[in-house]
Amino acid sequence: MTITGTLTVLWYSAQPWLWLIALMVVLFLVPQVIARLKGYHFSAKGGKGSKYFPPLIFILSIFLVPLHTDSTLAYVNTWVDWIALLGASFGLALYAWLVFHPICYLRNHKA
Amino acid sequence: MSKNPFPFETVSRRNLLKLGAATGVLGPLALGTGSVQAVNARIHVVIVGAGAGGTSMANRLSQVLNGAKITIVDTREQHYYQPGWTLVASGVWEKSKTVTSTADWLPSGVDWVKGKVAEYDPDNNRVILEDGQQLGYDQLIVATGLQLRYEWIEGMDTRLIGQGKGVGSVYAGVDEAAKTSEEIDQWIASSQGKGLFNLPPTALKCAGAPLKMTFTTLSRLEASGQREAYDVEFMTPSGRLFGVDFYNQFVKQRFEEQGVTRNDHWTLKSLDSDAKRATYSVEGGPDQVKDYDFIHVVPPMTAPDSLLNSPLVNQEGESFATWMKVDRETLQNPDYPNVWGIGDVMGMPSNKTAASVKMQAKVLEQNFVAHLQERPLPAKHNGYTSCPLITSIGKAMLVEFGWNGELLPSFSFIDPKEESWTVWVMKERMLRPAYYAMLEGQI
Repeated sequence: MTITGTLTVLWYSAQPWLWLIALMVVLFLVPQVIARLKGYHFSAKGGKGSKYFPPLIFILSIFLVPLHTDSTLAYVNTWVDWIALLGASFGLALYAWLVFHPICYLRNHKA
Repeated sequence: MSKNPFPFETVSRRNLLKLGAATGVLGPLALGTGSVQAVNARIHVVIVGAGAGGTSMANRLSQVLNGAKITIVDTREQHYYQPGWTLVASGVWEKSKTVTSTADWLPSGVDWVKGKVAEYDPDNNRVILEDGQQLGYDQLIVATGLQLRYEWIEGMDTRLIGQGKGVGSVYAGVDEAAKTSEEIDQWIASSQGKGLFNLPPTALKCAGAPLKMTFTTLSRLEASGQREAYDVEFMTPSGRLFGVDFYNQFVKQRFEEQGVTRNDHWTLKSLDSDAKRATYSVEGGPDQVKDYDFIHVVPPMTAPDSLLNSPLVNQEGESFATWMKVDRETLQNPDYPNVWGIGDVMGMPSNKTAASVKMQAKVLEQNFVAHLQERPLPAKHNGYTSCPLITSIGKAMLVEFGWNGELLPSFSFIDPKEESWTVWVMKERMLRPAYYAMLEGQI
């Protein structure tokens, strides 16, 4: 399959989820923008939330992502399966960190 | 199981496209491939059938033929994503996920005649509809799909499906697919009994579907925790389960491992749905009768009657009799060069899948335009077909092959001989969008 064909299929696949993607972008941007106005940067001190939530989400995702696709972790079999699952779980964990880290920073500064 | 939980799943496709365009994030990726140069052609193209092949060609030709009149003939108001019916009949999808409006997919400028062809008259370049209307053409594309021959099985009627008589069939329609799932649920709820799964004695569309129905039902039986209480048997008229040797052996072995009894050279002949009894003709022996609690019926299939009564069909004694006559590489009818075929209707080995249509549409578009320009036909169909073979609810194998069973994997990193969660996700989440991209001529 060509790269153009693959990208076209990905675009069509993403269409039903555009609302979720948009919501996730908003959830990412709002705390980032607010916190940066108050001096936040990625290497700033976060908090317990940003420390414990991302690894928790990573571990939960390994079990829940297959379930979300009407499958089970037992059927994750090939190296492609594992890369896809670990990649998805890492992506969700990273996203959680990007959201929780500035929120924790704001809480710390409020306190 | 996912039950269409997101409201945007039910929003019309056109609105989604508008939304996508509005975001402007990935819009450029949806541009067409543009592999064929547009040409001026003041001709009348008639496409018979608004299924996967017909709709795809209507979209492609409307983009490359300037000045042409394109007419598509079909009665169906709704377009069905048929590859999803195995998921509906397995209780994984709601049936609404496979239903859209035919009008949503047809490009503007294409005339939609809501009729059915009763007669093909290629000597006079016309088709005659059931209401007597005649449509003349310069070029004809036959994309009718095939005809299900449930009536060839004595006592079988698709109205039996969902009546609590243990009769199911994924092929009969989306409502029947959903009712098939209900019949399987009822069988499982009875905590015991025998299930019979069948292959037909003819070529069939989505040849993996009867196997998928068996494997997903086995999944559901195993999930009940009482697998040993159920007997499962599989009947093959030819003695084979799959056209490609590797997968034939794989499924045979998996059936043995999962306790499925195989009966080779058995063909379903008749049903007594009240008594829940099926009669099989057995090659080289007397007929056999089997009682059942659930039976999955796969009907014999042929080209539609209107085509069988026309000069466009392979004759008795030729290969693939009862199917449309085409050159399997160019998709052109050898007797009538202005007649072309696409999809299930054509007489060729396998190739009755949406994945085949995706490849055929590209070939047909190139050859069609070259023919109008009186150039040699440049494109050759390699027989590509694909079947994400579901081996359990949650995993599948990406089976892709061409003429003679040669494996033609699309992705070098996916092993076509291994069961995979990723392939299942592709089947469940990505092939429907890919199908819709194909309908619009984008891939």
